[in-house]
Amino acid sequence: MSSKVSSSAYLELHNIHQSFGSHHALKDVSLQIAEGEFVCFLGPSGCGKTSLLRIIAGLDTPTSGTLLQGGIDITHAPIKHRDFGIVFQSYALFPNLTVADNIAYGLVSQKVSANDRRARVKELLTTVGLSGSDDKYPAQLSGGQQQRVALARALATSPGLLLLDEPLSALDARVRAHLRQEIKQLQEKLGVTTIMVTHDQEEALTMADQIVVMNQGVIEQIGSPQTIYAHPHSPFVAEFVGEMNFLNAEVTGTGQMQSGQLTLHCAPSNTLMLGDHAQLAIRPEDVRFSANQDNLLDHNNTLRAEVIHLEFLGSRVRSLLKLDNHKRPILADISMNEMAHLQLKQGQMVHCQLPQDRLHVFGGAA
Amino acid sequence: MNQALTQTETTNIAATPSKRPWFGRRSLDEWSLGGVLIIGVLGLFICVVLPLYTLLSKSVQNSDGQFIGLANFAKFVTTPSLFNSVSNSLWIAFISTIIVTSLSFLTAYAISRTRIPLKNTFRTLLVLPILAPSLLPAISLVYLFGNQGILKELLLGESIYGPIGIVIGSCFWTFPHALMIMLTALANTDARLYESAEALGASPMRTFFTVTLPAAKYGIISVAFVIFTLVITDFGVPKVIGGQFNVLATDIYKQVIGQQNFEMGAAVSVILLLPALLTFATDRWLQRRQSALLTSKAVPWTPPVRPLIDKIFLALMCLVSAFIVSIIAMAVYASLVTFWPYNLSLSLKNYNFDLMDGGGWSAYWNSIQMASYTAIIGTVFIFFQSYLVAKLSGFAVLKWFFHLFAILPLAVPGLVLGLAYIFFFNAPNNPLNGIYGTMTILVICTISHFYTVCHLTATTALKQIDAEFEAVSASLKVPQILTFWRVSLPVCMPAVLDIASYLFVNAMTTVSALVFLYSYNTNLASVAVLNMDEAGDIAPAAAMAVMIMLTCMVARLVHWLLGSVLLKHTQHWRRR
Repeated sequence: MSSKVSSSAYLELHNIHQSFGSHHALKDVSLQIAEGEFVCFLGPSGCGKTSLLRIIAGLDTPTSGTLLQGGIDITHAPIKHRDFGIVFQSYALFPNLTVADNIAYGLVSQKVSANDRRARVKELLTTVGLSGSDDKYPAQLSGGQQQRVALARALATSPGLLLLDEPLSALDARVRAHLRQEIKQLQEKLGVTTIMVTHDQEEALTMADQIVVMNQGVIEQIGSPQTIYAHPHSPFVAEFVGEMNFLNAEVTGTGQMQSGQLTLHCAPSNTLMLGDHAQLAIRPEDVRFSANQDNLLDHNNTLRAEVIHLEFLGSRVRSLLKLDNHKRPILADISMNEMAHLQLKQGQMVHCQLPQDRLHVFGGAA
Repeated sequence: MNQALTQTETTNIAATPSKRPWFGRRSLDEWSLGGVLIIGVLGLFICVVLPLYTLLSKSVQNSDGQFIGLANFAKFVTTPSLFNSVSNSLWIAFISTIIVTSLSFLTAYAISRTRIPLKNTFRTLLVLPILAPSLLPAISLVYLFGNQGILKELLLGESIYGPIGIVIGSCFWTFPHALMIMLTALANTDARLYESAEALGASPMRTFFTVTLPAAKYGIISVAFVIFTLVITDFGVPKVIGGQFNVLATDIYKQVIGQQNFEMGAAVSVILLLPALLTFATDRWLQRRQSALLTSKAVPWTPPVRPLIDKIFLALMCLVSAFIVSIIAMAVYASLVTFWPYNLSLSLKNYNFDLMDGGGWSAYWNSIQMASYTAIIGTVFIFFQSYLVAKLSGFAVLKWFFHLFAILPLAVPGLVLGLAYIFFFNAPNNPLNGIYGTMTILVICTISHFYTVCHLTATTALKQIDAEFEAVSASLKVPQILTFWRVSLPVCMPAVLDIASYLFVNAMTTVSALVFLYSYNTNLASVAVLNMDEAGDIAPAAAMAVMIMLTCMVARLVHWLLGSVLLKHTQHWRRR
């Protein structure tokens, strides 16, 4: 199925550049989005994700590059000639219009009859779970409800593309988690191609079909949430999506690295040469523990460490480990079950293992 | 795995760069709104910039229109009587500034930082002078302390005609302007700062000097500059009560109206522009500094109970209010007295304006007409143009010029603007020459004169609306003008009413610019006050001033009614 849509990308961005004076907000960004996909632009503030969304919406013009929607060049098309609905972080609901009038706002100028309008509003309100709120004003709704109205308004004209600009960041954590799921389900049900801008990696991981990780105006990596998390292409992606420990190392052989006194085995790299500097990385949950070295499955990549701090996080415990001959301590997560077994204490010496198949290798020194 | 989403090769055929179309990426309705913005910029250019340019060039010409460099200025400096008025003006403005700045600070402090009762009443009383022409206090002072004044002895032989009268009169009419700025400056309290100061053991005195005063610093400086400019450029008060004491503003009037010496009038105008320009520059600078001072998370502060301080401030408020009320009451009383001081029985004889020189009742109706046109046309033009500047995308250069032209009138005293209008619109080769001497030029001049404050009010209100409304409506394929009508305008209705009421009141009370521009058919009430006073009909002048004040009160009442009745109806969405 996936190979079928690839031939007809719904939205194509070719070599988009955007610069404001000497500042380059976007550098040569190219991207294809298939119809019906949910794509997240993920990155820290100032990475260019919002600039890119504004270019897609037509709110800004790229300095150079081409933008195609459904095969048609829309790079310089006015906003009103583009086919999209947008939800802003601030919702931008018209405060003096009722919920129903807000949702029907775009339908009025499409010359939809009053009856059809009413029916459509009712249908949309049911879809977003706000039936009966027709006559309320935005100020009478909670943040989460306002967000749903904004979503309904954007969807009212059945656009081919839905743009969401940090739609959840103004909400509190509980509502956010709930709406995350709802938006995703709604998107799947309607099958509308959706682009969401976010700086929240958890949001991106749970909602997106594809994540576009951006940093300093360039795309760092594109991939499914699983790929991005399990196989980050760069230290930036590794650190921005989830958490990552880094160790400086030097290549001492095929699939072998030296980090301080430690000799570590890892997947062989075909770009690094003997003697090159590199970074080894491992996620906190991938570090394995044993109070006793013999309990570990094999003795590859084992090392001694001192527990210098323990932090209780509810479902797991985060430990801070000081490795012999390493200045920077590493983080390691232990599930509560394992913890009950290990009985770790602060100051204790432990054996831990950095499993070979979980080590990520990045070229270059930190 | 989905292969659709991949970074495309740079050699992709589809990536041929598309040319930007000649019309840019604006839709037709954006272009037409841009056209309206262009008309706005041109309008301000013609009504503000060109007249001022003409004035500046006139100041370096002789009566035959030949360039004579700075000869007019040299003549001004070497004529002792003229040059005297510079020091007179500076002296009067300096004294008035000190009095008004300190009084307005104390009264604003009483309103925002103490627990005195009747705050709203005091507030209403203290801003009353803004509803009267600046000639009213001067006339009142004549009745109170003039040659036949009821309190003449209080001056211990000094004459009210001269610096004393000018200072008192100036303080009276400029006070509300100062109070409003001061109230805004003192309103920006942050309770957390006071709590911190208290927790750190600072004495109330130290808290005042380290927290209260620094926060109000920019407001105080701003008030000082504004008052200085208002006083030095005002001509109503010195005209009525100045006696032989000449100031710059009356010099212009005398040079132009009395001696028909337009070139010297232009030269004095340019000199009068200097303090105004200085104030303008300072104000711009302060606004930049001030905005950095405000934090969005400030917690409002409630004043503590301080019996002694509250009593002192209550006494002060009573005193200032009593002064203001008695000046107004005196004018009202004087207008009702049949023949001062010989027949003190009350009658409406002085309201028989048609029997006196100065324009009669038709002047009053002209004023009403002019003020209504100004309020309606001015509000529509100013608000819509401010909307375009704030909310239309693109057109950055045009907007920059618009903003510059819209701010400029703040730096131009009315007298100078009026003179500039004569030079520009009365020139025989000006195609707009036809509006000279008509109601149109009065309306245009008044709108231009008071443009800046209205523009800033509208801009502030518009900036508070979500910046994404236009983007949302464009994405929903709704023309921007429709969103203006359905959303932006209704949401900004309170600001629109403020602008209309401000324009109406100022159009009713202003004299300075219009005194040069009215004609026989377009005599105005405020000018009639001046002319009747000059003709010695002081009581009818007082009566006309009272009529203006009552009209402004009615206007404010209508504003208030619209605000509380109509707005409550259309703004119910504000309630939660």
